[in-house]
Amino acid sequence: MIEQGAKSETRADTAIPAPVGQGYTFGSVSDKISALVLTGRTPRGWWLGFLFSFLWLMILLYAIGYLVLEGVGIWGINIPVAWGFAITNFVWWIGIGHAGTLISAILLLLHQQWRTSINRFAEAMTLFAVACAGLFPLLHLGRPWFFYWLFPYPNTMKIWPQFRSPLIWDVFAVSTYMTVSLMFWYVGLIPDVATLRDRARSRLAQITYGILALGWRGSAYHWHRYEVAYLILAGLATPLVVSVHTVVSFDFAVANLPGWHSTVFPPYFVAGAIFSGFAMVLTIAIPLRAVYHLEDFISDWHLENMAKIMLATGLLVAYGYFIEAFMAWYGGNRFEQYVQLNRMFGPYAVWYWLLIGCNVLAPQLLWVKRFRRNTTLLLIVALIVLVGMWLERFVIIITSLHRDFLPSSWGMYSPTIWDWATLIGSVGLFLSLLFLFVRLLPIISMFEMRTLVSETQVHEHTARNLGEE
Amino acid sequence: MTHGDPAIHRYSGQAQRIALLCALGGTLASLVGLVWNPALFFRAYLVAYTFWLGLALGCLVLLMIQYLTGGGWGLLLRRVLEAGSRTLLPLVLLFLPLLIGLHSIYPWTTQAPGDQSGRAIYLKVGFFLGRAAFYFVVWLILGYLLNRWSTDLESGRIPRSTRRFRLLSGPGLVLYGFTITFASVDWVMSLEPKWVSTIFPPLYAVGQLLTGLSFAVATLLLLSRYSSIGVNLRPNHLRDLGNLLLTFVMLWAYISFSQFLLIWVESLPEEIPWYLRRTRGGWQMLAFLLVVFQFGLPFLMLLSRKVKENSPSLATIAGLILAMRFFDLLWWIEPAYPERTAWFLVLDVSTWIGLGGFLMWWFLRKLRERSLLPLHDPYLAHYLPEAVPNE
Repeated sequence: MIEQGAKSETRADTAIPAPVGQGYTFGSVSDKISALVLTGRTPRGWWLGFLFSFLWLMILLYAIGYLVLEGVGIWGINIPVAWGFAITNFVWWIGIGHAGTLISAILLLLHQQWRTSINRFAEAMTLFAVACAGLFPLLHLGRPWFFYWLFPYPNTMKIWPQFRSPLIWDVFAVSTYMTVSLMFWYVGLIPDVATLRDRARSRLAQITYGILALGWRGSAYHWHRYEVAYLILAGLATPLVVSVHTVVSFDFAVANLPGWHSTVFPPYFVAGAIFSGFAMVLTIAIPLRAVYHLEDFISDWHLENMAKIMLATGLLVAYGYFIEAFMAWYGGNRFEQYVQLNRMFGPYAVWYWLLIGCNVLAPQLLWVKRFRRNTTLLLIVALIVLVGMWLERFVIIITSLHRDFLPSSWGMYSPTIWDWATLIGSVGLFLSLLFLFVRLLPIISMFEMRTLVSETQVHEHTARNLGEE
Repeated sequence: MTHGDPAIHRYSGQAQRIALLCALGGTLASLVGLVWNPALFFRAYLVAYTFWLGLALGCLVLLMIQYLTGGGWGLLLRRVLEAGSRTLLPLVLLFLPLLIGLHSIYPWTTQAPGDQSGRAIYLKVGFFLGRAAFYFVVWLILGYLLNRWSTDLESGRIPRSTRRFRLLSGPGLVLYGFTITFASVDWVMSLEPKWVSTIFPPLYAVGQLLTGLSFAVATLLLLSRYSSIGVNLRPNHLRDLGNLLLTFVMLWAYISFSQFLLIWVESLPEEIPWYLRRTRGGWQMLAFLLVVFQFGLPFLMLLSRKVKENSPSLATIAGLILAMRFFDLLWWIEPAYPERTAWFLVLDVSTWIGLGGFLMWWFLRKLRERSLLPLHDPYLAHYLPEAVPNE
């Protein structure tokens, strides 16, 4: 399962695009990427973007402050819809957090070298998304300061968490995912942080990056151990890509509620997570590449590959919607049938059809190569998919809860301003962290790009030879 | 136009004779069964047919996948996959016995569900036959085009590019997903008309892929012993094949377990009987064997690089998975029938061998028609530089 040959393969076929643009040397790759961080002048655009994100982050802090003072009553949740925005946002963010590990671990094991230029910021994005996701179930607890009651530890109250509940499995799945993703990201950063340490001019930067580099000197021993550790972490992270969203899907599928209890949920949720994760990677990659002129590293070919993965996972998600509706019709369970009809034509029908438009229709554009190569269009489709995936979780949660078996217990749900504030605020948290990351750490893995430079030279060499023949 | 390896001609004649003998022996035994207990025979035939159809479709789907993903493994497996997909043609004719036995196989043909559910509309003999015809047309067209273009590519009638293969394969996979969803409901899920599981069609499709892949890997490794294709088989290719097998084994286990866990934990009256029937009266032994030999053992073995790089051990694992696929389908189909006589297992196996012998004979004939490697594929020089013919 764990391969070492990933980097030693040479590519000598002109049919497959070169991983790095032409004319780069080891030195110029490091120059270009490290300069984004080590430059003394912070671009004005960065300040504007960060200010904007920081304001949104302040909205989050205000919303959380008020929530702690007043309780979850400030949200729109009540019985029967006890899982409103909070759980919708949780599932949305945790899904977005799937692309990073998929790109880093699975594509590494599959020898997909195009991952190299996008894995660093995709992993960072994963961490920030999981951090945003983690907030919501904690806030939804009502008394978030007792969050540690979720962990099984011997205590004076002599009570244990309910191990049969998937909500407890979530605690383990998400915290394991956070830990492994963090380690994976940090281990991958060490050689690059050492490069920054060596290139930094200010004393503060030298000391900070020096501490973070953990004494990396680039010796053969260091590299050997680094390679082994990275591959082991990739192997560990691979099952986590599947397990986290499988457990999240169990939150729903284990409950005996029409529209939630469906055996297709685990793979369908995992596909949806990857779908939204790649949409987020594209949403970040396209502006980043334009602002910092990184077209040589993140080429149209990289974006096209991501678009293809988005199309494939989007089709799987569409299959999920279809098979649920078909089986409800075929199986003849009255409650299942009602939930499907209520989703399509009930009070929340607008959101259902909007979600179909966003997740099923919009990605179909990606069948056409010309559209996959059009970055503006790609960005728009990615944003539409992000909205669509949020709507999907909203529709699944609200429509199943608001009308269950007993009409006497039916009710409606509508979010309050505080629901919206927390959602917008979490976007602010995500963007703020992302802006800090872009300014303080190398957004593309420098040393991995350097290994690709030598391969690109082989590429150019063969291309020249073929031309001469 | 092109002809296979001379060595393969020598050995494949022998293999074809063995296949024909199996076909003859199996068919004779099954015919005895047909006379003795027709109902039992038709169920055995459904098990065997589902297995061999899964093999052909699994090959077809993998053929489309390898055009889209590229990679050395695709070039190595391509001829086996092509010949495997060409068994679809006889399988259309072999569908006819199922039609004869329709009433003894599917309970809904004699007693309609009679409720307001979609089943009452969906499970009607005429509609069922129309759908089956549609599936076969779609699959045959896909198989025909991919095979036709492949010979055209070898003979130089079309440009040396895989563009048209890729353009067909993307939509082809979507079509397969669509047709196999309904086919799995029609042919297997409707054996217990009250049972519904949304993950069953994907599970059925993954089972077909696993069948096709384990068959292709085992066949390729066997071929590499007797022909020149073995020269091109490097340790990294074996590792890739092993990893691919591991991926599909894990996918099968993941989906199977998801279905089991979600049905078991809810224990709903319309869902749980499916598992109750399959974990009582001796069937629990088979369920246990499936967990061990279709997941546990291959999973643990395939984690080891040493095992993957060793051709005989990889071939053995692939063969084991292939055999377990038959028992998996047996476990899906046979427990659906409450009444059973002691001899059903013998009949199941003999029908499986009889049908398989004939199809393998057909497969070997088709395999001989082309060179064992796609020598004119534009990616050959990239992935298998040693195999490029000197011109």
